[in-house]
Amino acid sequence: MVDFTNIDLDQLFGLSDDSNPLMMLIWILPIILFVFYGQRIQLLVTSREIKQSIKKLDAYRTEARKELIDHVKKNMNPKEDPTKKIDRFLDYFTIMPVDMDPNGIVEKVRHTVRAREDYSRNHVKSLSPEIDEVGLSKVITLLEIATSLHMIYKIINHMYLTAKKQNNYPLILPLQMILPFIMEEAEAITKAIPVFKLGQPVGDGIGPMVVGKMMQDTKKELAAFQTIVSEKEYDGRKLVLLKAEGPGSTVGRPGDAVETIIAKNKPDIIIMVDAALKMEGEDSAITAQGFGAAIGGIGIERFQIEDIATKNNIPIFAIVIKQSIKEAITLMTKEIANQAENVLSQVHEMIHENTKTGQSVLLIGVGNTIGISQ
Amino acid sequence: MFSKEKTVIAYTTEKCKSCNMEEKRKFKEGDYLFAETLKCNSCDGIMQIEKIFGESIEK
Repeated sequence: MVDFTNIDLDQLFGLSDDSNPLMMLIWILPIILFVFYGQRIQLLVTSREIKQSIKKLDAYRTEARKELIDHVKKNMNPKEDPTKKIDRFLDYFTIMPVDMDPNGIVEKVRHTVRAREDYSRNHVKSLSPEIDEVGLSKVITLLEIATSLHMIYKIINHMYLTAKKQNNYPLILPLQMILPFIMEEAEAITKAIPVFKLGQPVGDGIGPMVVGKMMQDTKKELAAFQTIVSEKEYDGRKLVLLKAEGPGSTVGRPGDAVETIIAKNKPDIIIMVDAALKMEGEDSAITAQGFGAAIGGIGIERFQIEDIATKNNIPIFAIVIKQSIKEAITLMTKEIANQAENVLSQVHEMIHENTKTGQSVLLIGVGNTIGISQ
Repeated sequence: MFSKEKTVIAYTTEKCKSCNMEEKRKFKEGDYLFAETLKCNSCDGIMQIEKIFGESIEK
């Protein structure tokens, strides 16, 4: 009989002996495998993670497209099925002007961007010419959301497939690095869809909310396209109040409006109230004061305001309300809404500190004015 | 360790222009800031929408 009870495992596998060929194989094989196929293994592992994110992006863009088509069918009553036209809109692209010679580039970018805006507005309106401006602005914003998600999906999928096709691990690294940020943004954009459909104020609307409150019981006029101006007295100072025309989804054209206002009557200071992206670790809905034009976007409005202010020697002061990207484009949080009173008192303080009786102030509420009238 | 799913509920706060009485209710489609809504329950003033915001509740 063989006695299996006293087998010495150390002896069998030669664990105590470095020259055992079995042990050498166990050590050397993975090393060889990783030397020659390490990148491919990493590519496989990373690909799986990226594939899952791409699946999510695909779901986001499909949802955005479906919501847009449903909204158009429900609210615009188009004569024909709008699906084909909407699908064509989703693939529209904008070719930015050549910047090898940067002279006059802002004018060119403004021309290109405005031409696209006008085109989208006219073509969306053609689906149902009876639609009111507020309804039209909602559809245009939903179209922008769907287009952005469609574009994000296409670019990320292209980068992923290129890396896979070439079996090139380094090519997939930048994608792996930027993907968490892209996903955060895409998720926030998707969550903004019901908010814009219902016409609720977003976090970015805190500036128009403060100025809109000050505009109550004043005579309002159109200063530029989708931009409203009104005047009011405050403690011996003349206040010129400016915001996008609510309650539709628009940021207006504050650059053009500032140009018109300053051409008529030069203010002594400009105060801009806007939402600003908070840094990681910073609390949401905190306020900060500073100098310079507080306005986002691709820069055409900021350039225009800075240019006029510089030519006329008008100082620009800013008050910002910090928030995350998600908070900026989704339903305004209670904390941000509660800051309106505080911001208003800071505006009053700023006016007192920087102007004398008889002087005038141009106050601009910057941001999307969805759900906020004046 | 596992974060609970959060649901955001939209609320509308109305304030009477005369007696400053405030009322909070759930958001209705068509609400927008500074819109004048109903007559005040305590005086004959007009209620105006003061705030629209979201509050998160954990599921």
